Amino acid sequence: MSAYLHSRGAALGLPISGTFELTARCNFNCRMCYVHQNGPDLAEKELTAAEWLEIGKTARDMGMVFLLLTGGEPLLRPDFPEIYTGLVKLGLIVSVNTNASLYNEKIRQTFLCYPPARINVSLYGGSEETYGRLCGNASFEKVVKNLRSMKEDGLQVKLNVSLTPYNAGDMKKIDAISREIGLQTKSTAYMYPPIRLTGKTGENAGRFTAEEAGRVMAEWDALRDPEEEFLRRAENFRQNRKAIEADECADANGTGEGIRCRAGRSAFWMTWDGRLMPCGTMPVEEDAPDVRREGFGTAWKRVREYAAAVRTPSACRGCPDRENCPACAAVCKCETGKFDEKPCYLCEMTRSRIRTVLRIADEMERNREK
Amino acid sequence: MTIRYEFVKREIAGEYFLVPIGNAAKKFTGMFAMNEVGAFIWDILPDAENDRAVVKRILEEYEVTPEAAEADVREFLDKLREMEIL
Repeated sequence: MSAYLHSRGAALGLPISGTFELTARCNFNCRMCYVHQNGPDLAEKELTAAEWLEIGKTARDMGMVFLLLTGGEPLLRPDFPEIYTGLVKLGLIVSVNTNASLYNEKIRQTFLCYPPARINVSLYGGSEETYGRLCGNASFEKVVKNLRSMKEDGLQVKLNVSLTPYNAGDMKKIDAISREIGLQTKSTAYMYPPIRLTGKTGENAGRFTAEEAGRVMAEWDALRDPEEEFLRRAENFRQNRKAIEADECADANGTGEGIRCRAGRSAFWMTWDGRLMPCGTMPVEEDAPDVRREGFGTAWKRVREYAAAVRTPSACRGCPDRENCPACAAVCKCETGKFDEKPCYLCEMTRSRIRTVLRIADEMERNREK
Repeated sequence: MTIRYEFVKREIAGEYFLVPIGNAAKKFTGMFAMNEVGAFIWDILPDAENDRAVVKRILEEYEVTPEAAEADVREFLDKLREMEIL
């Protein structure tokens, strides 16, 4: 249903899904974060609950079905239950991103009355020490307790795991928590440069080198995947590469492709201070639409026009690892400052990941033969 | 007739859907798609005393034979009862 509606939305220019970044504030201070800010007057600049609900209603009337509430840490807002409940009652399918450290009885009761489609919890490590080192907030026990409570209440919970030099040593502990509580889990070691905060491209002080990131992602896959699935993953990497090498249309000198995902086609991201973007990882340009000033309809039209003009690097079209690489328009912009310049960090990370997956797969196959 | 769960009816890109919220979101995942007649029936259900009243309203609204109206209403309401929505 979601894929069908997004496809219809892209064809008709409808904003089928959206993200509301309710706040940039966070009670954590993660080293690799690209959003969070802490300042004395930030709360005053945020959209009010009434504004979020009014914009939600307009977007709903224009076609929005799926909504993700994120931050910063959205549960930091005292009016979160009011905003959340109001948006659900509009007939939106609402998911919530949270670090789960501020989950309390009031929010629990809100979620029990109106269950979110999904709660995406970022799990940052397997100990208080790791949380302190990476997030500046030793909340590990609290987070795990809250994860158990959500699960026991029958809420839909998914774990998101960002692997960095500060927590990758906890990979096995994170995996064990995920399995013990029984949570769907997604992980990456790719951390976007925090261009929205620093204005600097290609840098993230909290991330691995590209080679390390690729290796860690492969090691995570080996830890999580059942052996058969991991071997299939390795085979897919090989086959994808062969298919692209044989693709006569893969012209590295031609025009780059447009945006391949839903960003700015059937999806949008709205920042905590009311700017409308195709995607939250892209930098907020000076002339980015301001929903408070222009209204949602005009802002969405401008976002679509902006996204339609984007071209990704022509070099990526002919790359044999294209289908194995998570590079996208936003990644290119954050890594290089341009949508159409090849993001070398991604090239190196992807090659490292493939190399490591193939090496581990070879070892698995050799062990099977023994 | 009494609808036992909380849904919001939505029209998206010319199609109709029921989005489960609250108690309905605990029981059902995803949305239900409906055609235009289904959406019409959904709207009149709370004020309709019984199945016959729904058929009567369909005949007032659409140019359709009583047999076809009865069949459409039966099919739609049977589905709702099967899912314990009605």
